Amino acid sequence: MDGVILLQKQLVDYSTSLYKEGFLDDQFKQLQQLQDESNPDFVVEVVYLFFEDSERLLNELSKTLNQQIVDFKKVDAHVHQLKGSSSSIGAQRVQKVCIAFRNYCEEQNTEGCLRCLQLVKHEYSLVKNKLETMFKLEKQVLAAGGSIPMH
Amino acid sequence: MCKLRHFDAQEDAMAHAASNSPSVTFESPPSSFRAMGLWLRSYVNRILASANSCRRNRSRCCKRTFNRDVEAEELQDTSTVCLSSYYSVFMVRLAIMVMLAILIGMLTLLTWHFTKVYTQRSLDTLAYGLRFELLQRPMLRMWNIINSTVEITTAQVKLSEYVIRRYSKPVNQAQQVELYEVMRDVTWALFASQRALSSITINYRNGFVQAFHRDHRSNKTSYIYSDLVNYSINGYDADTLSSHQGWNDQSIHGNMSAIWYRQPLDPVTGEKIGKSSPIPPDELINIAGISQIPDGAASWHVAVSKYTDSPLLSAALPVWDSSKESIVAVVGVTTALYSVGQLMKELVGFHSGHIYLTSQEGWLLATSSNTPLLMNSTTGPKLMMAVDSEDRVIRSGAEWLQRVYGDKFPLNDEVHIENARLGHQLYYIDSFFLNLKRLPMVGVIIIPRKYIMGKVDERAFKTLVVLISASVCILVVGCVCIFVLTNGVSKEMKLRAELISHLDARRKAEASSNYKSQFLANMSHELRTPMAAVIGLLDILVCDDCLTNEQYANVTQIRKCSTALLRLLNNILDLSKVESGKLVLEETEFDLGRELEGLVDMFSVQCINHNVEIILDLSAGHVILRGWSENPNSVLSSGKCSISQKDSWPGQKMKLKLHGSHGKRSLKKENKMVLWFEVDDTGCGIDPSKWESVFESFEQADPSTTRLHGGTGLGLCIVRTLVNKMGGEIKVEKKNGPGALMRLYLILSTPADPNGAGKHCQFKFKEHKLTMLLALNGRMGRSTMAQWLQKNLVHTYEASEWNELTQTLQEHFKASYMHIPPGEFSESEQMHTQGISISVVVIVIDIGLLELSTDIWREQLAYLDKYSSIAKFAWILNHDTPNAIKAELRWRGHLLMVSRPLYKAKIVQILEAVIKDQQMELQKYVTATIEGNLNECHEIDAIHSWTPSSDDSDKSEHDDLRLASPFYRTPNASPSLNRTPNGHHAEFAHVRYEENACNKKNPGQTREEEQQSPITCLKERETVRISMDEQSSLKGLRILLAEDTPVLQRVATIMLEKLGAKVVAVGDGLQAVEALKFMLHSSELRKESPVEDDNSEIITANGLSLLPYDLILMDCQMPKMDGYEATKAIRKSELGSGSHIPIVALTAHAMSCDEAKCLEVGMDAYLTKPIDRKLMVSTILSLTKRTA
Repeated sequence: MDGVILLQKQLVDYSTSLYKEGFLDDQFKQLQQLQDESNPDFVVEVVYLFFEDSERLLNELSKTLNQQIVDFKKVDAHVHQLKGSSSSIGAQRVQKVCIAFRNYCEEQNTEGCLRCLQLVKHEYSLVKNKLETMFKLEKQVLAAGGSIPMH
Repeated sequence: MCKLRHFDAQEDAMAHAASNSPSVTFESPPSSFRAMGLWLRSYVNRILASANSCRRNRSRCCKRTFNRDVEAEELQDTSTVCLSSYYSVFMVRLAIMVMLAILIGMLTLLTWHFTKVYTQRSLDTLAYGLRFELLQRPMLRMWNIINSTVEITTAQVKLSEYVIRRYSKPVNQAQQVELYEVMRDVTWALFASQRALSSITINYRNGFVQAFHRDHRSNKTSYIYSDLVNYSINGYDADTLSSHQGWNDQSIHGNMSAIWYRQPLDPVTGEKIGKSSPIPPDELINIAGISQIPDGAASWHVAVSKYTDSPLLSAALPVWDSSKESIVAVVGVTTALYSVGQLMKELVGFHSGHIYLTSQEGWLLATSSNTPLLMNSTTGPKLMMAVDSEDRVIRSGAEWLQRVYGDKFPLNDEVHIENARLGHQLYYIDSFFLNLKRLPMVGVIIIPRKYIMGKVDERAFKTLVVLISASVCILVVGCVCIFVLTNGVSKEMKLRAELISHLDARRKAEASSNYKSQFLANMSHELRTPMAAVIGLLDILVCDDCLTNEQYANVTQIRKCSTALLRLLNNILDLSKVESGKLVLEETEFDLGRELEGLVDMFSVQCINHNVEIILDLSAGHVILRGWSENPNSVLSSGKCSISQKDSWPGQKMKLKLHGSHGKRSLKKENKMVLWFEVDDTGCGIDPSKWESVFESFEQADPSTTRLHGGTGLGLCIVRTLVNKMGGEIKVEKKNGPGALMRLYLILSTPADPNGAGKHCQFKFKEHKLTMLLALNGRMGRSTMAQWLQKNLVHTYEASEWNELTQTLQEHFKASYMHIPPGEFSESEQMHTQGISISVVVIVIDIGLLELSTDIWREQLAYLDKYSSIAKFAWILNHDTPNAIKAELRWRGHLLMVSRPLYKAKIVQILEAVIKDQQMELQKYVTATIEGNLNECHEIDAIHSWTPSSDDSDKSEHDDLRLASPFYRTPNASPSLNRTPNGHHAEFAHVRYEENACNKKNPGQTREEEQQSPITCLKERETVRISMDEQSSLKGLRILLAEDTPVLQRVATIMLEKLGAKVVAVGDGLQAVEALKFMLHSSELRKESPVEDDNSEIITANGLSLLPYDLILMDCQMPKMDGYEATKAIRKSELGSGSHIPIVALTAHAMSCDEAKCLEVGMDAYLTKPIDRKLMVSTILSLTKRTA
């Protein structure tokens, strides 16, 4: 049982660090609150939906931005979507970069857009890794027979 | 001459020199020059005159421009130098000047060129004629000389032939002598007739020579003959055959034996005047011999003799015998060329210049100079080459010619050279070729250019100088004029450029200020989201039950601060909205009293927080809203209109004067009236110099106090903009005493039926005998209320504190109390049995009268309970009244509770409730059921906006807006939403009543809980309420969610499902429209066949409930069809059916314009992402409740 408690503590610490470092915000907590018996894997499901969506959007974005004539409207729409989805799961760092990204879009600043794209990709991969690690920990906790501590 | 005339005529034709004499003779070229000069002078004069007139004109212009300069200079001080325009002006000036210079230069050149070239050409022609003439004369003379020589020779020959034929075949010496004598006489006759002749010689075949010689220098004439002795008569025959061969000059000179005699003669008569003397052969004159006529034809050549210093022209002709077979003698005639030279000298003396004649080989024949023509050599005088001439000019001319033409002198061509430079002077050189057989001659005339063209050149030079100086003058004057003229223009341009730059700067500044306000708006929006989150989180924290009191207080404080911050942000948003002109006001009817009550509600909490009482006093004639500070240092905020300045107005009165139907309306036509508002305070006041500036944005009366009092300095700006929009005006008025007085008026139109309004609050006080005890803290509020009540015939008592209350109670109610026997119910029964005539007693008690700090209040309540049978208690609660007290009151049966502040409408509400209660009680009394009334809980909580819930910030924003513009409602608050404050009241009252109804259903249970432990019970109740809201508030609702982002879709779905709603999610607007269409269609189908379906009753009962979806949540940005388009499409499809499905926009744009856009396309409400659950619930409920 000690192992379980240890794991639980680890999980709690990890998720707290995520909040502290600003990877996640309250929205994620709300997501977790929405998870219940009827939707046991709701958070994971939503987060993976987010991953899929984001990867699609990021691909689209890099494709659009690498064209000769950049269609800023399109880019803006994509970034808007990304911002929406990231804010919905509470990935606020991605969201913040998206805000900057949209500003560059409005200025039609290709260079800034490209820089932001890199930043978004970076932030996205970071948050993805963090979330995946967290889910792994949760799985371990569950496997060890413990329950996931609610925040 | 002809040529000359021709040129003159040409000149005439050119009409340049009309005054010029057409008959310019050769002798008078200077006259033509003079004419030319005159013409030139007049021309120059004309030019100068025109230049002068120009200058005069310009000087006039200059005067004008100078005047303007003075004016411009005055302006110059204010203007700063705009470099670029200065340079451009400078360049323009320069360009104009350069063009002027070029123009004048061209004119000058052309003038000069024409004057000079035409003059020169004509003069050249003239000069050519002159030169030609000059040369022609000596040539002619030469020709004459040669001709005469030849004639003489021929005559001599003819005579000789005649004489010789006569004396042919002389047989003896005597005959011979006779022949010679005759010959001598004939020859003399000829010689004497021609004075120009130098000599005539006859050389006979036998060698005898006869010659006459005339020495021009000494003017001596002599006869030269050879000794006859040596010559035999027979010699002729002997030598006949030898023909010409025997003839040679050597025979004469070589014949040393021959003796030559010279006999001087009288030049006129030919008489011998002296003895003949023998002469040495070298003194012999040239005797023409047979050698000179090799072909027997006449010949001539140039010879020299030591007697003359000029060359001689000698001609020789043979004398043939009668048979023409042999030459018997040779006649030679020598003519000195001296006369030619003389003529030349004469010509040159008159015309200057030099003339010389040369033979073809270049031997000098005659010159116009006095230099010798012959060269003395050892062998006697010799002919000279022209290049060796001692005359400098001739020599150099000859050299020049030789240099130019060399040996190939053009034989048949005449050479005319102008401007040949000999020495330091220019000369005309012309040469003519006189082609005589055996003696071709070349004449050369050298005339200095100065002689012909000197004056012309001088004049041309002078003209040029005059022209250049004149043009330079014009140029200078023109440049000055240009400078002066353009100076004004340049100044104007400078000013204009400055103006443009100013405009530009202004436009930029405006743009930047636009950006700034946009930025502010954006920022405030961006900030609002986290602020909303903060407030929401605080709400959650407040709901948490594990907080200590201290923590709770802190959290509450934080919440208040956050709300204040949010209001600041909202202010900025409002301002940007107003500034950007997006705020459109709509005219609607309103009830001023109700608006004011709402206003009072709104600010009561703030007032209480600042320990200020707010009282609404609606008296007849005018409306007075009064609030004052009991603690002068504390703060009152009195409405939106003074929100930014609230801190500087501690203790203030706000008066609203309604000049209604009396004075003003008569002035205002078309049902307009003026509503005056006064805001009066007793604070620190506003400095008169700031009276205008306080209405600017971000301006505060005293910036140093910003830190003390806070505020953004936007409030008054917004107020003024709004007031102006409503056609009013706001200004600070002079005031006696401390503080500031602000007055604003609005021009409003009165409703169609003025009597219709204000009736609703009429309450039939008279019908019920009412007695009221007002136990209130605030003196002012109490007295105004009491006055009003008494006016409405309500018996009123007043009490300001607990002791007074007890006293009053004892005094006025003791009696009735004493009458009542112990036992409440029986007492009340008795009362009721006594009849309805007994007045209804209402005791309104301020909760503040109780001693809340200690537990005494329970005892006080217990004391009051004694009166509960005869009186109804109504409690005035503070917003922060602890729930424990509320619960206690409720437990004790005091169900009438109102929040501060107390105003008319609330009193009416209380009274209504009491009377209703009374009536119910009566009924219950009749039916003998007494218990019910205990569970009635009329919590009239009008200050809903200050109950802690996360959505209140938004609502307060709405309220703010509405209060600021109560008369012209913003169009985005669509009427269907029914969003007036009253609407909110209604809505929330509805919720509350529903809740109460819930409680009613299981009264026992609630009662039990409350009895167990009132405090925890209440808290639980709160949580239960929240969870209930969350769990089931949306139960039974069918919601169509249109959202393209899968994440959001999922989250929203779960969220809504958790709230009990049924959610259908679609990916884009098109699908949403399709889904709706399909459903509509199917419902219509169902409608058509009601029998088939079980739900037919419902269908028939209410068509609206047939709609499969109660609400649509619509994302704004979606692929294929965005939210706006989809909404438009849906609304379009609804047009026929008359139904209206609520559509709520879901958008990440937090801009107000987006909201406006959403509402414009027909959406009903607006939610921002990320979704706030509570806000969403309340929005959905407000929209669905209406349809239900």
